[in-house]
Formats: sequence, C-alpha cells, structure tokens
Amino acid sequence: MKRLISVLAFTIGVAAAGTPAFAQQSGNLRIEFQGPGGHSYGAYRRVSALHAAARAVILIQGALPAGSYQITNLTGGNSVNAIASDGLIELKLTAGNAAAYKALVAAVTKAAAEGAAAENAFRGVKTGDLTSGAPATVRSKVTPF
Amino acid sequence: MKRPHSTNALSAAATILLTTVALGSAGSGASSLSQDGPPAQGGTPATIPATVVAAARKIANDPQVMALIEDQKSDAAAKARWNQFLELVRIPSPPRQELLKAAEIHRRLVNEWGFTPAEVMTRADGILAGTDTNIVDGLPVYNACVVIKGSYSSQAGAQQSKGQFPKVLVEGHIDVVNPEELPKSGDPSIHIKLQPYSQPVVATPQELAAIPDELSFDARGRVVENDKYATASKVFADAKDAEAHGGVRIYVPGYGDMMPSTSNAFVLAAAMKKHHIKPVYDIWICGTAGEEGKGNLAGVKQLYGFDQKAGTGSNPLNIVANFGLEGGGTVNFVGSYRFEMKFKAPSPRPDGPSAPEAMAAAIARIADVRTPTDLRDDAPRTTYTVGRASCEPPPGPGMAVPSCSLEVDMRSTRADTLEEMRHTIEPMFQAGASAENARHGRKNNEEGITLELMWFGLRPAFVATSVDNVAVHAGLQSGIQLGALTSPMVGTGSGSLNDNVPAHTGVPTYQFTLASSAAGAGGHAFWEWGTRGAPATEVARMHRVLTAALIVAGFNAADGTVVQPSVGPMGKRTREVVR
Repeated sequence: MKRLISVLAFTIGVAAAGTPAFAQQSGNLRIEFQGPGGHSYGAYRRVSALHAAARAVILIQGALPAGSYQITNLTGGNSVNAIASDGLIELKLTAGNAAAYKALVAAVTKAAAEGAAAENAFRGVKTGDLTSGAPATVRSKVTPF
Repeated sequence: MKRPHSTNALSAAATILLTTVALGSAGSGASSLSQDGPPAQGGTPATIPATVVAAARKIANDPQVMALIEDQKSDAAAKARWNQFLELVRIPSPPRQELLKAAEIHRRLVNEWGFTPAEVMTRADGILAGTDTNIVDGLPVYNACVVIKGSYSSQAGAQQSKGQFPKVLVEGHIDVVNPEELPKSGDPSIHIKLQPYSQPVVATPQELAAIPDELSFDARGRVVENDKYATASKVFADAKDAEAHGGVRIYVPGYGDMMPSTSNAFVLAAAMKKHHIKPVYDIWICGTAGEEGKGNLAGVKQLYGFDQKAGTGSNPLNIVANFGLEGGGTVNFVGSYRFEMKFKAPSPRPDGPSAPEAMAAAIARIADVRTPTDLRDDAPRTTYTVGRASCEPPPGPGMAVPSCSLEVDMRSTRADTLEEMRHTIEPMFQAGASAENARHGRKNNEEGITLELMWFGLRPAFVATSVDNVAVHAGLQSGIQLGALTSPMVGTGSGSLNDNVPAHTGVPTYQFTLASSAAGAGGHAFWEWGTRGAPATEVARMHRVLTAALIVAGFNAADGTVVQPSVGPMGKRTREVVR
C-alpha cells in the first residue's frame, strides 16, 4: 500500500509541476455496497453494507494521498433497527493527469473491494453463501458519475 | 438504495425536541435497567386458576363465538381476509409516518367494517382522547383503534380511573421498516412482486424492481383478481410444498413483520361487531404506530402514557391487560439503546477534518466489536448494528460536507450485557472524531470534528419475576382449550416487542399471532417476502385470541350468563402525571 501511495504521490507531483502534457483531471466516483440486510436483532451476524462502506473509507485514507480525494457523501441503511443492506460512498478525485487519475480509480476500487472483503471475513461469509436464500456477502461496485 | 445527501425533516424535528430528554435519560439509563437475574432455563409452568380454565371452556364453545368462527371458515371470508391484507400491506407506512395506513383503516372501520364513528377511538391527526401522551418524540402518533363496547360501564358502581373504565387492549403494529420514507409525490403504493420459487431470491433492489409479475389494484385500491392474483393466492403448507406446486414468493415489506396479523385483528374486530360479541370490559383493537426503527414504541407509549425518562407509564386509559399480535408467547423483553450521533465539520474548507471520514472511523471501529453472543455460547443474546447513516450535502462546489449522522442499535436480553455494549460502543463515537482530528493535527474542540447527540432511544430490558398474570393465563389456557398448546409452559426467551411498554407499566401482557404464512424471509430488508399459508390456521388463531381477550375482559354469553373478568377493574399504573 505504501508503494502505491508513493507512485501516486510522484505522479501527482510531476503533474503539479506544470508539465503541459499532464493536464489535471478530476472526477466523481460512486461506490455502492449491497448486502442482504435484515433485522438487527433476529438476523444478527449478517454482514452490513454500511459497515463495509466505513471500512472502505478507512482503506481509502490509507491508499490515496491526502488532497487527491474528497469524500462528499457516506450513507446507507434504512432503519436504526435493521442491518444495512446498502451503503454508498461518493467522492471526488483529483489527479495531475489521466494516468494518475486512473491509478486513483484503481486504488479506490481496490479499497472498496477490500472493505467488503473485510466485512465478509469478520462475519465469516464467502461468495456463494446464502442467508435465507439471499446472497450472504456484501458486494461493492464503483461507477463514475 | 441510493440516497445522495437526503435529509429527513421529520427526524430532524424529532431529534431536536428529544435532545433534552435523551440527555437526561442517558445519565440514568443504568438504574432504570436494573433487573433481578436471568430467567429460568427450559421454560416455566404457569399456574392457571380453575376459573380461567372454566372461562376458556365456556367462551371457546359459546354459540355466538362459534358462529363467528364458522363464518370465518368460509371460502368467502378467507378470500376477504386475504384481499384485505394485500390491500393494506401495499400502503407504505414508515415508522412515525403511518398516516396513510391509519387513514385507510379509519375509513374502512366506518364505511366497511360496521363501526360507527363514535367507536373509532383514534383520529387522523393522531389525537387520542383520554391519554396524557398525544405527542411522542415531538411527533403525532398515528394509531388506529376501535372499541368493542363492553357492558361494565353501565353497571351500578362501575369503577373508573380518571373517567376511564377498564379495557383490554389487543394490538398489532402498522408501521413497516421499508420504505424508509413516504414518497414525496406520485402514487405511494408499493408494488407487490411475484417470483417463482425456481428462481433465486433477489440479490439487489434492482433485481426486485425488474421482476415482471406483480399484483394489480384498481383505482379504489382493490386487488384485481386476475391470473397473477390467482397464482399469489394459492395456499401451501410450507416452502417445500410451495416450491413443488407452483408457489411464488410474494415480495412486499410487511409480509412478515407484521401486516397479516394486524390486518386480521381488524377482521376479528369487524366479526365481533357483526356477531354482537359483548364483553364485560371494553376491548380495544388497535393498529399501533412506531414499533419499528426510530418509532421508539410511540404507539403504545401513547396508549400507556409512557414516559421514556421515567421508564414507565401512567396508564391513562386504564388498560387492565395487553395482548400483542406479533407472536412470541414470552414474558421477557429485549432492551435496547439507540443513539443518533452527528459529526460536525469545523469549517466548509475541504482540506480540514472531514465529517464523513470521522463518521466512517467511528463506524469502522464499531464494526469490529464482538458481543458476548459472539464470544460465548451461553451468553445472553446481545447484538448491535449501525443501521443508518447520512450526510448533509456540501453547500457548494469545492466545499466540505458540513455534517454526517449515524444511528446505532444495541440490544440485549439482559441489562448488564446491554450496559456492556453501551460502554464499549459509546466511546467509539468520540474515538472516530478524535482519529479524524488527529489526522489533521487538530484538537478535539471547535478546531476539529465535534459531536452532537441528536437522539437517544431507550427500551429497557424486562425480565419477569413471575410468569403468572392474567394475560399469560388467558393466553395459555385459550391455547390449551383449543388444542394449540399442550401445557401451560412459558418460554424463557425474550421478545423485542411493543409489549415492553405495558410490561414496564405493570400491565400484564402476552403475545400470539393471527397470521398464517407457508414461508417467508427477508424481514427488515428490501427482499421481505412471504407465501400464503392455510386460512384455517388464521381462523384457529382468531378463535384463540378472541377467547383469551374475553377471558380477561369478561363475556356476556349467549345463554345469558356472564363470564366474569379474570382481573379487577383498575389497571396498574406506575407513573401518575399531574396535568
């Protein structure tokens, strides 16, 4: 992870130096998490899409250089007494050029997947597992908007 | 579900008004949760009085009661119950926003179910005459209640409390976890989707929305009896039977929790009216508001004059016994703490401490908590989740998110383990803020992320010291009389139910259900579904609930004799309010 940060920092740093061929690029990403949700008491031990989203934010902090991203939204869940079946992170990325931006997107995508994986691991579920017939894992999806 | 930067005006109003109460309660939570010890393992036998045994026999076999039950056994009655359920369950009814469903119940009570306006005890604006608690958590309470008038009030020397004659309450909640909010515009009705068992349970809301088959309703809200309706209406014994014989999953929030039972409560009310069932004490049949989510048990708090800070109720309506229709058959009730915490950014600059990242740091810490349930097989069931989170949108381009809020739920069957959870999780709110401040070299003051308690929910755990009370006796003996039970055993489990409020007010309570589902799953989730079960089961359960309610309320039998109420006319109250 530290190596990735170094690469990103270098790339952004070069871009910031003003090389004309490296036009700054920014964009917005939406990271969606989907899980089974359920009753907070009766379905306890199911994974939470919101918990996964929070885990992903912390991973993003560690993976991206300060100043390269801004979290503009973190939301999820429908009710205090329900395990969240959905989670959403919206963030803005800023990079020195297209290549650096692409690297940022890749890092965010990796952090999202790892956030979901961490939540699945904490609750001991894996891809293909079902809970009352529904997919038991939390899954992530990253899209620009 | 995507919710970019939504805010909830109703919640905001409630949370502001609640802050003072919440802070007061927070400080005294431990003392109000004191319990004597764990319930006995393996079930506890109740000692049912001979008078209750005799009353159950008399009432269950009474010709008027039997006429009601025979009426409900007909195919036409089964169809009417099914259609009524489908027509009510599609009306969205989020906690504290139950006004649409309550209004439809109020309308049907008078226009279709045979009651006069005077027998409808609740109003569209949430006002309930006679209670001292018409506003709960700053909001109106959209209960829907009807009375089956008893004979007691016309007796010479009838006792009353503050103008209220005794009454028995039979209730099921009308709020449902999903959808989260009422739609702002357009037809609010929920689409009821049908999916063959041969297909997998939907994995996303998008998959659910894409299911082509759904029930249709006409302009009056009546279900259209087309081929889809015929498929959905098939009756099965269980999921295996449904899967083998063309059953479908019927996706609609509230199928499992708990509209079939609540809808049938009003079927029972209408049938009691039609068959001139005459109790001694009044029987109120209610669809209650606010059982789910941040509802904070608002509906029963209105009915019992319950004060969260005091942890008990004034029982302003003089209710002598409570019957809940969510099932359970328990005398112990799960306790919960609920917090809504706001993380506020120090400035709109995007390069300072971030509200969403502070909140994420708190949630990520909470997500790693292991409860006693996770750690020990013999531990009291103890759970938590961060159920909801949201952020204010940045006020302009390039500006920071001003604030974010999370809602966390902690529950346990025991006060000590609930306290343990609170002491573990509550510091994590500040830990998240502190971590974010530290990343930016800020102190935990106005320079950095600050915290605000927006809402505090308290549902004290209740562990009964005895299984013997009039509601339990009636609930058990009605089951024994009608063959649903073989012994008067009370389970040792705990329920997370409306019954928490009457229990803490000292009013006896018991639960059973009026629903009949062959299968179902997905409660509190977007994929909540069910499949229709045997109508005969519903009727048997109506027979039991009616018998139990009449045991406690008393009954003017068809032969002219009177089965006296099994409880005196003065309900318990542990909080008197001078108003």
